[in-house]
Amino acid sequence: MALPVTDNLAQTEPAEATLPFWARSHFRMRRSALALYIPLGALILLVVACFFGPWILHLPPASFANIANSNLPLGSPGHLLGTDQLGNDMLSRTLVGGRVSMVVGFGATLVGFVIGTSIGVVAGYFGGAVETVLMRILDMVLAFPSLILAMTLVVFLGPSERNEIIAISFFAIPNYARLSRAATLKIREREYVLVGRVIGAGPRHIMIRHVFSNVLPSLLTIVPLTVAVAMIIEATLSFLGLGVRPPTPSWGNMIAQGQATMSIAPQDIIIPAVGLFLTVLFLNLTAEQWRLRISQ
Amino acid sequence: MLGVSLIVFSLLSLLPGSAALAILGPGATNAQVAHLSQQLGLNQPFVERYLIWVGHAITGNLGTSLLTNQPVIAEIEQRLPVSFEIMVISYILSLGTAIPVAILAARRPRGIADSINRLFSTVALSVPGFVTALLLILVFSVKLGLLPTEGFVPLAHGLVPNVKSLILPSASVSVGLFANYSRILRSDMIDQLRNEDYVLTARAKGIGQWRILFLHVAKNSLFPLITVVGTNFGYLIGGVVVVENVFGLPGMGQLMQYSILNRDYTVVQGEVILIAVAVILMNLVTDLAYIFLDPRVRYGATGN
Repeated sequence: MALPVTDNLAQTEPAEATLPFWARSHFRMRRSALALYIPLGALILLVVACFFGPWILHLPPASFANIANSNLPLGSPGHLLGTDQLGNDMLSRTLVGGRVSMVVGFGATLVGFVIGTSIGVVAGYFGGAVETVLMRILDMVLAFPSLILAMTLVVFLGPSERNEIIAISFFAIPNYARLSRAATLKIREREYVLVGRVIGAGPRHIMIRHVFSNVLPSLLTIVPLTVAVAMIIEATLSFLGLGVRPPTPSWGNMIAQGQATMSIAPQDIIIPAVGLFLTVLFLNLTAEQWRLRISQ
Repeated sequence: MLGVSLIVFSLLSLLPGSAALAILGPGATNAQVAHLSQQLGLNQPFVERYLIWVGHAITGNLGTSLLTNQPVIAEIEQRLPVSFEIMVISYILSLGTAIPVAILAARRPRGIADSINRLFSTVALSVPGFVTALLLILVFSVKLGLLPTEGFVPLAHGLVPNVKSLILPSASVSVGLFANYSRILRSDMIDQLRNEDYVLTARAKGIGQWRILFLHVAKNSLFPLITVVGTNFGYLIGGVVVVENVFGLPGMGQLMQYSILNRDYTVVQGEVILIAVAVILMNLVTDLAYIFLDPRVRYGATGN
């Protein structure tokens, strides 16, 4: 492999003055802080809006409304985003529907993180047969595309929010296990682990206090990405009728419901789609900027 | 692969709700259910059923559908061409756009082409496939009336109507793939331009930037691209399953959803196992492609 040639770098990096204004360094410096906090702030705002919005704004309930008010257009009095074909308030439904996506996205990530990291740390710390068996089992799970795996599991478990969390967490387990195993292999050789062993600490203590706490930071940066993927899988399951069932709203089943009246009321699919898009986008941006910060 | 088959089988045998009940409908008596379960062999012990199933599966017999009584393999064969065609068109669309765009973007990092591509792919990666599909239907079918909303026209009815019925589904799958491909290719090309000696040599010889990009760097950057194409294969299958349901195309994905909702678990089993095998084979092909294309991998074990 070639060594990085510094002269070469200067050649391919365009000169400062030729860069468009948004790429120049003085702008970039200020941008790097903003680039992390803007999506993070927006994300927090979305979460607060979904969980407390309907309550703060005194919105009508998300389901079982009067059907006489069906298909009201945007900006109707009392229904800012109109109503769907059953007369439910769209703003209220969209906010409440977001809760399902967020709870499942975060819950599945948490479950996947805890199980995956435990497997990875144990496999990496003990090595040998334990490692081989654990990693082989995970290789098998990896042979299934994440969506197909979640579809099959959720049918096996039955459609509910809790079962969606379990089904979707499976895709995250191998990822966290592999990353934490790789990190553990490095940390295992450090002096403080050796010292821990010398003073007579048990493997459980060393794994939790010394290995896990040092593996954690590098794993946390991919958490927002996992949440984003989990939310997309959740929405897809709901859309296919395999997730949360109406009348409980979720972004996925709202879009599925809106598909029938798409040509006359496209806002019924666009509004929940925008909610999902913004949440996933801000998660992705936060993850990207966070990773950039750490690597600097 | 045996382990994979065991997972699939045990998972689906434990499905709540009996298949016999699903076939007979809710009005069936207990005696009828028991009789049919007996007939279908659902009462035998788990291990026995698994071994029989694996034995048959190796010879290409995946059992018969509990709903239609057709062999599972025949059901799948009937649906496979549609899904396969969507995959091929998606690959053509996504690679055909990602490669030129990545070259343009890598030529001037943080330039206009690069910024637009980065913005587009960030957005594309945040939109689920079914939403892209619905938006495309909204624009091209509902507003512009150019393409059909749903339904499939077989190849026998002419190439143009056939491709027309599949172009929107394929495009919706391609958007996500494009974003992945163009990102990987771009960053690897920029990396090569900066760090590789052969680029320096080519520059010293006075070869122009475009020529270096197309003939030297793009060729070498195909390796990470091959890896991503291989690892994204499962993502592609997931995408196809979803868009088939949006567009009402009679492919594997529609069969899958239909069988899941009707608890036709021999079909689900057969299909999931085929998908897993396809993913494993794809990974193998990716590894082989490396050995075939890159002599360093071939001689890596003994060289140096």
